[in-house]
Amino acid sequence: MQSDPTPGPPAHDIAMWGAPGSGKTTLLAALNIALMRRKDDWKIIGSDAASSDYLIERTSALSSGKIFPEASQSLEHYRWTLIGPAERQERRWLRRARPAPPLKIGISMFDAPGGLFSAGPLRPGNGPEIVDDLRRRMMDNLAKSRGLVFLFDPIREFELGDAFDHLHPPLTRLAEKMLETGELRDGMLPHHVAVCITKFDDPRVLETAEKLHLLDSAPDDEYGFPRVSSEDARDLFRALCEVSASGNADMVVNALDQFFHRTRVEFFVTSSIGFYVRPQTKTFDWNDYQNLLPEAGRDLRIRGQVHPINVVEPMLWLGRRLAAGGPR
Amino acid sequence: MSEPDKALLRKAVARAVAGLTATGRLTIVEVAADGMTVFRIHRDDNGRPRCHYWSLSWEELTSEQAVLRAADPLSADEVVLVCSFPDGAEANQALGWLSEARPAAVFPFTGPVTAVVEDVLASDPLSRSYDLVVMRADPATGRLRLGSKQLFPIGALPGTRSEVAVRCEPGDEYGTAFAVVTWQGREPRLLSVHSAGLTPGRYLLTAELVRPGKVRFTGVPELTRDPRGWADLVAAAPSQLPPRAAPAHLICAVEVCGPDAKVEERLSRVRQVVSFLSAELSGLLRVSLVAYGAHSYDDRSTGEHPVEVAAWQVAPERALAALELLEERGAITEGYPYYPHAAQVEDMLDAVTRRLAASEHVRTVLLTVGDRPPHPARTNRSLILPCPHPHDWRLLVGRVQSRPDTVLAAICDRRDASAHPAWRRLGADALAHLDALDIRGLAADLGLAAPAALPIPFPLLDETE
Repeated sequence: MQSDPTPGPPAHDIAMWGAPGSGKTTLLAALNIALMRRKDDWKIIGSDAASSDYLIERTSALSSGKIFPEASQSLEHYRWTLIGPAERQERRWLRRARPAPPLKIGISMFDAPGGLFSAGPLRPGNGPEIVDDLRRRMMDNLAKSRGLVFLFDPIREFELGDAFDHLHPPLTRLAEKMLETGELRDGMLPHHVAVCITKFDDPRVLETAEKLHLLDSAPDDEYGFPRVSSEDARDLFRALCEVSASGNADMVVNALDQFFHRTRVEFFVTSSIGFYVRPQTKTFDWNDYQNLLPEAGRDLRIRGQVHPINVVEPMLWLGRRLAAGGPR
Repeated sequence: MSEPDKALLRKAVARAVAGLTATGRLTIVEVAADGMTVFRIHRDDNGRPRCHYWSLSWEELTSEQAVLRAADPLSADEVVLVCSFPDGAEANQALGWLSEARPAAVFPFTGPVTAVVEDVLASDPLSRSYDLVVMRADPATGRLRLGSKQLFPIGALPGTRSEVAVRCEPGDEYGTAFAVVTWQGREPRLLSVHSAGLTPGRYLLTAELVRPGKVRFTGVPELTRDPRGWADLVAAAPSQLPPRAAPAHLICAVEVCGPDAKVEERLSRVRQVVSFLSAELSGLLRVSLVAYGAHSYDDRSTGEHPVEVAAWQVAPERALAALELLEERGAITEGYPYYPHAAQVEDMLDAVTRRLAASEHVRTVLLTVGDRPPHPARTNRSLILPCPHPHDWRLLVGRVQSRPDTVLAAICDRRDASAHPAWRRLGADALAHLDALDIRGLAADLGLAAPAALPIPFPLLDETE
């Protein structure tokens, strides 16, 4: 891992949140693996030692140890730079074409323990003043950032149904804070939001998408993995909300529509570990694609290679959107 | 008494009795020196002629009205008048009143009319056939059906004999019941029931028609009158014949992964079942023993332990010896770490169906003993990883079930409610719980052993013999 070759702070910040156990930490680790599997020269570079260490540890746990990275226990602030391939400029007259500088998207990501946003105490033993301090810092970070990644875990929603509980309070507080500072635009928050529907590898999610005829596959995907395009992801999101344990998942969509411009919200169907692929065939197999391996007790391991699905795309989408809008 | 008069009277009474319908009435009036005797004859529910008679003295019959009230000739379908004292004034007067009210032939006869009537009734040919109640067994299924075997046809006369070969099994508290019925349309009418506790075996039963309504059986120990009615007898009839000992093939498939104590208990249950059936079906039992564990999907594993056919269609003693080796080994450790939520049930089924295809067709029982469900053939919402081979346990269970005379039994660690639904398929014909196993009941459910007591209270008729 190299350090950021570009001095100075990143141009844009992206904040990530979701219910506890929704897979934020795993998504971060999967992001690095996914970038390394891409053949288009995108890479992620840590901007400081802590961010690099974090990335190395989580990536190693996921790819070699085949275990899920430990969930965040405290508010952590990491900075990376996504560096894309150099862009060629057009040749003019007799001048040689010179490669343009590589596209750089600064990403500053806050990985916070999921419980931080809930109304209740963060963790037994933490006093209210600690929780208040954590919330205040997170609110400041959310207010500074213009890109948000919201993780929606459909399995958790099916079993517990608490996505709305983890989305609405911080949104309301963020809106309150930005109203104070006059940063609301047309009564809406100015952020771009990437909604990541996680655990696409779970048979219950994949089968739902299949039943809705939302699956296709990328022609250049050597494994032939099924995927759901961003255009269809919202439909899958709505279908998954219908089986919410609390019945409140529809309010997640409504809350997003209330606080953000519709054009600034994009849905992504993602999987941090991806589908299982037999080493012999190296092709997606509808008969055997589950990549989770239960162990004695309640622990889970990763069965085969990690093939993250759609974990880079939300970041690139956010980065490009933010870059197109100019610096903050 | 003149013989021609007696013969004429007997013939007339016999003809009148023979002509009695099910609801008909015959009245015979004898006028004598001291009074008048009225015989009223009808057929009962079994078609047997029954007679009631009464006598009145001339002191009681002083008027025409009294005579007609006593004889009631108008209510009868046929009337026979007998005069045994033609010189008596009262007798002639009474005959005159009766003939006037209901013209009928008058037969002179000086002997006892009672004897003539009794003789006629005792030798009356049967107006309905008499059948013995028997049970018939379906040789294929052992299902029992209550039925009858004709002993005497319509028109049979007293003294007629009939022979029936029957088999008697242990009976109920009354022993074996020899019930005779007649038929009113499709409804049987019980005529008589006599029972005795008989030694099980075959008997050549001889039935003799003593008189209408009375059948005597010989060829069996002495029978005593049985107080039960038809409904009680029908209720006592079982629906299934106890299974006869026949060659059988018991396949014990045991899950040998999981806690040591559970594996030990499962193997112990298998030992009990094999030992019990070995004694029950002496010399007729063949046993197979298949051990299966868990799949291993973990790349840290050195390779899983495959399904192991420890014995195939061998004598119980050899199977028990193979079982001993499994008991000594205990839970398998090869292939750790294992998949924790399912076992190689589908691989075991595949191994069994392959071997069964080449096995002789005798009654076969696949007894699966374990806890975990099978792996599905493909990824599904159960989240259990699919079988690596990939065997479809539903398909394989169906293949076993469709094999003739093959049944599925299971002994599951868990009780019904908490057991995986697959165990209901694996134990489709008998599902027992590991901690509360009634081996005799299980064997009986599978048609491998007779239940503790299943009385057959009627003689069995085997028409194939």
